[in-house]
Amino acid sequence: MSSRELTALRLERTFAATPEEVFDAWTSPEVLARWWAAQPAWTSPGCEVDLRVGGRYVLRMRDENGRVYAVGGEYREVSRPRRLVYTWCWEGTDGPDPGAVSLVTVEFHPEADGTTVVLEHSGLPSEQSRTGHETGWIGTLENLARRIFDADERS
Amino acid sequence: MANQAQLDRTFAACAHPIRRGIIERLGAREMTVGEATCDFAVSKPSISKHLRVLEDAGAIVRVIDGRTHRLRLTEHALDDAQQWMSDQRAIWERKFDVLEDYLAQQRARRARDSMSEAQRDSDAAGGRERGSARRGKDAG
Repeated sequence: MSSRELTALRLERTFAATPEEVFDAWTSPEVLARWWAAQPAWTSPGCEVDLRVGGRYVLRMRDENGRVYAVGGEYREVSRPRRLVYTWCWEGTDGPDPGAVSLVTVEFHPEADGTTVVLEHSGLPSEQSRTGHETGWIGTLENLARRIFDADERS
Repeated sequence: MANQAQLDRTFAACAHPIRRGIIERLGAREMTVGEATCDFAVSKPSISKHLRVLEDAGAIVRVIDGRTHRLRLTEHALDDAQQWMSDQRAIWERKFDVLEDYLAQQRARRARDSMSEAQRDSDAAGGRERGSARRGKDAG
């Protein structure tokens, strides 16, 4: 199996702005709060960002019943305006993936007409990947699911 | 939301190249154990272990037909994992949407600011001209 197939969840989009603008917006608490108010009736009671290697971030959202969901992590690499790496972990025991730590890598590529953001979210806990386990099984699953079951996945 | 233990089992089932290889082969059609596991260059006990992990995860089923063991993929073998994946994708797609809106607003604000700045500059320039004309008049 090629390394390409072993890539994690990957998204790409081009924005009409400089890498600096996109990088700053990516980490801006204002953008994070808007993003995190996931449904119209939901609110984001606050985001904390300590943008430096080893610094932490926390994003919170509150649903219409007042229940708060939080995700947080630690910045592993902060290279403005080219690259950002951070861990991703749902807090509490009733989140979508309690206790599972995953890794988010964001690259900002300058283009003639803007900046292409390439995001990779790999689900394997970093502790495991350090000990040499297989990485990128998410992408494999996605490929497999698409190929084998011909699921209607958005391309 | 998917059952966490089941999700763990599904991802674990896919977390090995031999097990992924078996899943891929069975994606084409039902096979005998021999067909599905040949050429992996590992011992028989090791193959048995991988098959057990896949069976425990509910990814494959074994149909025993006399002395022949046949393997096939379960119909919804990877559904829960795939659902999890598309949930993650939706989260990030939304961030891209928000970012796009935000950057467009920033751009519009900058354009507005530079227009009103140009307006101020031209007003100020006009004022200076008027001022110097006045000063000229005063001097005269």
